Amino acid sequence: MNVFFAGDFLLQKAAVRALADLKANGFTPADITVFSDEPIEFPRNVLYRPSHMSLGVVIGAITFSLLVIGFVYFTQYSYPIVTGGMPIFSFWATGVVFYELTMLGAIVCTFFWFLRESGLPRRGRRLPVPSVEPGIICVRVECTPDQADAARRSLESAGAENVRTIGEAR
Amino acid sequence: MATVPETIPYGEVRRDLWRPLSGASSRYLITLLLLSSVAFWGLCAWGYQLYKGIGVAGIHRPVFWGFYLVNFVFWIGISHAGTLISAILRLTDANWRKPVTRAAEAITVFALMIGGMFPIIHLGRAWLFYWLFPYPNSRLLWPNFRSPLLWDVTAISTYLTGSTIYLFLPLIPDIAQLKEHATGWRRRLYGALSLGWTGSDRQWHALERAMKLMAAIILAVAVSVHTVVAWDFSMSIAPMWHSSIFGPYFVVGAIFSGIAALIIVMAIIRKAMHLEQYLTAHHFKNLAKLLLLMSLLWLYFTVAENLTAWYGNEPKEMIVFGSRVRGGFAPYFWVMVFCNFVVPFVLLGIKRLRTIRTAIIASITVIIGMWLERFLIIIPTLSFGRLPAAWGNYAPSWVEISISIATFAGMGVLYMLFAKLFPIVSVWEFEPHVGPED
Amino acid sequence: MNDTNQTPHRWGMAIDLDRCTGCQACVAACHAENNLPVSDPASAAKGRAVHWIRVDRYYEGEFPNVRVKYMPVLCQQCDEAPCEPVCPVYATYKNPEGLNVQVYNRCVGTRYCANNCPYSVRFFNWFDPVWAAPLGLQHNPDVSIRMGGVMEKCTFCIQRIKRAETEAKNEKRRVADGEVQPACVQSCPAEAMVFGDLNDPESKVSRMAGSGRSTRLLEELGTQPKVFYLQRAT
Repeated sequence: MNVFFAGDFLLQKAAVRALADLKANGFTPADITVFSDEPIEFPRNVLYRPSHMSLGVVIGAITFSLLVIGFVYFTQYSYPIVTGGMPIFSFWATGVVFYELTMLGAIVCTFFWFLRESGLPRRGRRLPVPSVEPGIICVRVECTPDQADAARRSLESAGAENVRTIGEAR
Repeated sequence: MATVPETIPYGEVRRDLWRPLSGASSRYLITLLLLSSVAFWGLCAWGYQLYKGIGVAGIHRPVFWGFYLVNFVFWIGISHAGTLISAILRLTDANWRKPVTRAAEAITVFALMIGGMFPIIHLGRAWLFYWLFPYPNSRLLWPNFRSPLLWDVTAISTYLTGSTIYLFLPLIPDIAQLKEHATGWRRRLYGALSLGWTGSDRQWHALERAMKLMAAIILAVAVSVHTVVAWDFSMSIAPMWHSSIFGPYFVVGAIFSGIAALIIVMAIIRKAMHLEQYLTAHHFKNLAKLLLLMSLLWLYFTVAENLTAWYGNEPKEMIVFGSRVRGGFAPYFWVMVFCNFVVPFVLLGIKRLRTIRTAIIASITVIIGMWLERFLIIIPTLSFGRLPAAWGNYAPSWVEISISIATFAGMGVLYMLFAKLFPIVSVWEFEPHVGPED
Repeated sequence: MNDTNQTPHRWGMAIDLDRCTGCQACVAACHAENNLPVSDPASAAKGRAVHWIRVDRYYEGEFPNVRVKYMPVLCQQCDEAPCEPVCPVYATYKNPEGLNVQVYNRCVGTRYCANNCPYSVRFFNWFDPVWAAPLGLQHNPDVSIRMGGVMEKCTFCIQRIKRAETEAKNEKRRVADGEVQPACVQSCPAEAMVFGDLNDPESKVSRMAGSGRSTRLLEELGTQPKVFYLQRAT
């Protein structure tokens, strides 16, 4: 059964120290979560979570764009209707539609990638969430019972205001 | 320069920004009731129009587009408030935008919702509006993607989706905070909307990355949306419509009217919700400077459009041009120039005169002027077509006027409801900074 | 294509302005043939009157040497019609015989086509049409009644074209020149209007269109109209 420690820090420097310490003790970013009431910018090597959102969105947008071009081509030719001397499928006359729907693809991709990367809405394992006061940075470590001492030491030595054990995983 | 709210203790910030959410003063309720009645009256007018036929509007051959299209372009223009503030200022890391972003994004979403109603309201057979969407049907027919009106449909749908997401994403942390302190139905609502946000670093980083991407995407979409609306007109061969300047002209005009709308809304919420410490003179002055800049840009485009038309001396265009500048539409034209350029230039260009009050006055005149500009783009060209035998004058009917006024009331209603449910100033962006060197 | 040599028809019209007296018999005939809505004076004053064909008057010269040029203006059935590509629902398009057809049951009433028509020949049904008795008894059963919210315009009396084509197909022959006459052409007392197949070089309309007096309205816009106006020679 894994245990969870939460250490509250007032200073970002202290939190960074704790994270470096935890990393040195063999904890991976998957075990560590930092809670705060506003976004904190950590140095890269301390808590590295690679994100492919930009690439994913670009690829999603391009894919959607190709689908849209194909759709418009198919629909215009499935029932060809001559209007005003314009070709049945005109790339430039329908270019705006492609652009807009490419952007829509990018928007929708961004939103769903956000949901994916943030883990919202919460599902699956419900890990315990420490309550965080404004201005506090709370570092939560999930560890096996034999790693518990190392985790607690890392948090305390970095200068945590208090280190507490929080509930079990559900 | 640090904006004042960063020196206020966080508890007080949160209390100030959350205070409007609980309870409703009699002033709020009366205003809401009044605005709702006006909006409802507009809805009834539309119902009357659907029942009797679109002929109850004042439009007729050759002026086939009237107030409804003017309002459509106007409201889509207003929706560019959020674009500038949220997207451009976010991309350039201008921190003074922080208290203003949510108010601006809310304007964008609601203005788009209202503006997007008008393509349906102005239809002759409005109950068949869904034929403009591509869906498989027994007729095997698809819409005509070559039509600028279809470009409108895709552009506005995209922009509305994007703006809603762009409004919702940074709202999540605030909703999560609200949930902690709420009870009853509010707690259930906030709980559902917050998607289980806990403030973990993974969530924050995902949010920040998403916001950065969305800012860039929304900017690209917003520029294209109003360009596409402009192309409704410039793709036509009607005299003085077939102009390549319309795209940029409309985008500039949209950002211009958007900033003006934002200033007015900010002034109202500042007064009504006692946010004087959060929406300071600094914010108004910065926005006023932007308004002045857009006024000069607007003047540049207006001069460019009119000068080229006049110099080209093409007979059909000159008739339309003459009617705007010297003829029947001249009063509206010169009032527009006065409202859009003279007033902002004097009130906001002279540093001593640039105050919150003059910013509000200038914004109101800009709103009036920009509405007149949309009017002057659409009506004169249609009144004076290429064959003089088919010229005609336009006067709006009570239905069109009712619906136009009702949209302003409707905007007010939507905004008041939004400000009652969610903090109109972003609370989490006022967090006491836990900086790297503390 | 209901003829032996498979060349499709290309319907066009020629109007000799030298012959037109401005009597407006064509306007009345069109009203009768196509079930046009009748406007009362109030609606007409509001610009709501519907006349698929109208006679434009151009006054030249000063009194007492005034001349009037009468010009019947109807849908020019443009080959490159500006009204067609802007319709979002394909309610107007060019059929294989070159006619610019308006599909009443598809029109949702955006009215973009009417704005884009440089000849202002498109008319909108602002309300459901009402005919005061006994005008309602006079309707042509071959032509549908358009409901409110739908755009309409001159169709070159497509119902007469279709009838002639059906008869010709049944009799296994091609439609003869002059066999099809829209109501306006049929009723012109001065025989100023001629209708026929532009693809047939021998037809009267082709010969008139090729005449030295032949012009087209607003030709500089590149709409390629199929109504040829023969300017006055006198």
